[in-house]
Amino acid sequence: MRRHIFFLKMILLMFMAPFCIHTANAQAMLQIGKEAPDFSLADLNGKDVSLKNLQQKKAVVVVFWATWSANSKKALKRFDEFYKKHKDKGIEIIAINANNQVISKDDIEAVKKIAQELAIAFPVVFDDGLKTFRSYDTIALPSTIVISEGKIAYELPGLPLVGTEDLIDYLMTLAGEQPRKKVVQKYKPRHDAIADTNLAKGFIAKKKYDMAHPFLKKAVEKDPKYMLAYVELAKLYEIEGKTADAEETLKKALNIEPENVAVMTELGHLLIKAGRNKDSIAILERASALNSYTPSHYYYAYALGKNGQIKESLVNFEKALSLNPFEENIYALRAEVYDLNKMQKEAATDYRKALEMKMKIGK
Amino acid sequence: MSYRKACRLFLHLSLLACSIMFLSFPASASEGRQKASSLLKEAVVLYESGNYDRAAELLAEAVKSDANYPEVHDQLGYVLLKKKNYDGALDSFNAALKINPRFRTSRTGIGLVLYAKGDLKGAEETLKEALTLNPYPAMTHYALGLVYEKLGAYEKAIHHFKEGIRTFKGGKR
Repeated sequence: MRRHIFFLKMILLMFMAPFCIHTANAQAMLQIGKEAPDFSLADLNGKDVSLKNLQQKKAVVVVFWATWSANSKKALKRFDEFYKKHKDKGIEIIAINANNQVISKDDIEAVKKIAQELAIAFPVVFDDGLKTFRSYDTIALPSTIVISEGKIAYELPGLPLVGTEDLIDYLMTLAGEQPRKKVVQKYKPRHDAIADTNLAKGFIAKKKYDMAHPFLKKAVEKDPKYMLAYVELAKLYEIEGKTADAEETLKKALNIEPENVAVMTELGHLLIKAGRNKDSIAILERASALNSYTPSHYYYAYALGKNGQIKESLVNFEKALSLNPFEENIYALRAEVYDLNKMQKEAATDYRKALEMKMKIGK
Repeated sequence: MSYRKACRLFLHLSLLACSIMFLSFPASASEGRQKASSLLKEAVVLYESGNYDRAAELLAEAVKSDANYPEVHDQLGYVLLKKKNYDGALDSFNAALKINPRFRTSRTGIGLVLYAKGDLKGAEETLKEALTLNPYPAMTHYALGLVYEKLGAYEKAIHHFKEGIRTFKGGKR
C-alpha cells in the first residue's frame, strides 16, 4: 500500500514539476521593485487602515478581491490560514475589496457576510472608487501583492494552484520560518535600473522622447533582467514609428526570460497592430495559457476576432472580463471585433461601456 | 452750521459710506464665492462616490452662498439628474446658462435631461448644438451616443461613443 502511495506521489510530482517551473517564471511581472503606493481605506467598522502605519512590518500582503469572484473567496481562505499561524511573525495581510467602482450597501453586506463566514482575522477594507486598485495597476481579481521595505516585492495575479503555494513559501521565508520546499531567491531589480526607467517614463510623459532613450538603454545595460525597461523602450520605439526596433527589443527580453507573460503580451499586441495576426495569435495563445494575466486574454481575444474567429474570440473576452471587469480596454477591443463582424448593436453597447469606464460614469 | 459746511460734511459722509460699501461688498462676495467653491469641491467628491443626497444638500447651500456661480448650478443639475429630479435638473442647468450662456456642460446636461424624459429628438437637437459650442466634447459625444443607441441608429451611436473615447484621451470631458 505504502509503495503504491509512493508511486502515485512520484507520478503526480512528474506531472506537476514542469508546471512548477513554468508558473514560477510566468509570475515574473513588471511591478517588482516599484515603490508601493500608499493607501488609507476604511475597514468593516469604518476605521481607517493605512499602509504607512504598517512600515515596521517585515511584509504587508495586499489581496485585491471581489465577492463575485469565486477564486477570491478561496484566496481569502488560504491567506487567512497562513495569517492565523504566522501573524506574530511580522507579516500583515490586508484584503482590499474591489467589488464595484462605487461600493453599494449590497456590496458592504456581501463583504461582511464573507468576512464573517470565513472568520477572517486580518483587516478587510473597501476601495470605494477603485483608486487603490488602479494605483497598483491590478490586472486580475483576485490579485496578491507583497510589499516589503516600502517596495513591491512579489505580485501574483489570479489564484494559480502552484503560484499561490510558492507565494506562501516566500512569505514563510520572510516570517523567518522554514518553507515547505526550497524557495528560489526572488529576483530583485537593480535600484539604479529602476531609477533610470522612472526618469525615462517621466520624459516620455512630457514627450521628450530623445531624452528618454539613453536612460532606458542604460537601464537595460545595468540590469538585463529588468523586463520593464525593455517594455518601456519598445513602447518608445513604437511611439516613434520604429516597429522593427520595438519588436527586436521585446524579442531580446524574451531571450532572457522566455515565459514572461507581460513581455509576451506586449509583443503580441505589437504584432496585432502591425497586422501580423497569425504571429500575434501564436504568442498570445501561449501567454494566455500561462496564467491569469488579463491583457494576454483580451489581446488574444482581439487577435482571434480580427482573424475572423469570432466564437473563440468572444470566449476569451469573457475570460478576461471574469478576471477584471473594470478594464475598459476589454470593452473597447470587443466593440471593435463586433463592429468588424457587423454586430452593430453589440458594438455600440461595448463602446458605450468603454467610454463610461473611461469617464467613470454610469448610464 | 453753515450750508456750505453741511454740504461738505454730507459729501465726506457719502464718500465714507461709499468707501465702506466698496470695500465691504467685494469682500463678502469673494467670501461667498470661496465658500461656494469649497462646497462645490466637496459635492463633486460626494457625487463621484454616488452620495447624491448629500451632494445635493451641499450644492443647495453653495447656491445660497453665491447664486451667481454657474459651476454650482451646473453641478447641481447633474446631481438632480442622477436623482431623477428632471425638472429640478433642467432649472439648475438653465440657471447656469442664464449666468453664462456659453456654459458648455449645462447645455449637454439639458440634452441628457431630455434624453431621460424620452424626448429623443429634442435631446438630439440640443446635443448637436452643444457639440458645436464645446471644445472638450467627450461628454456630449457620450450623450449623443446614448440618444442614437436608443433610436436604434447604431452606426451613429458607435461614431459618437468612439469620438467620446478619442476626445476624452486628453482627460477632458
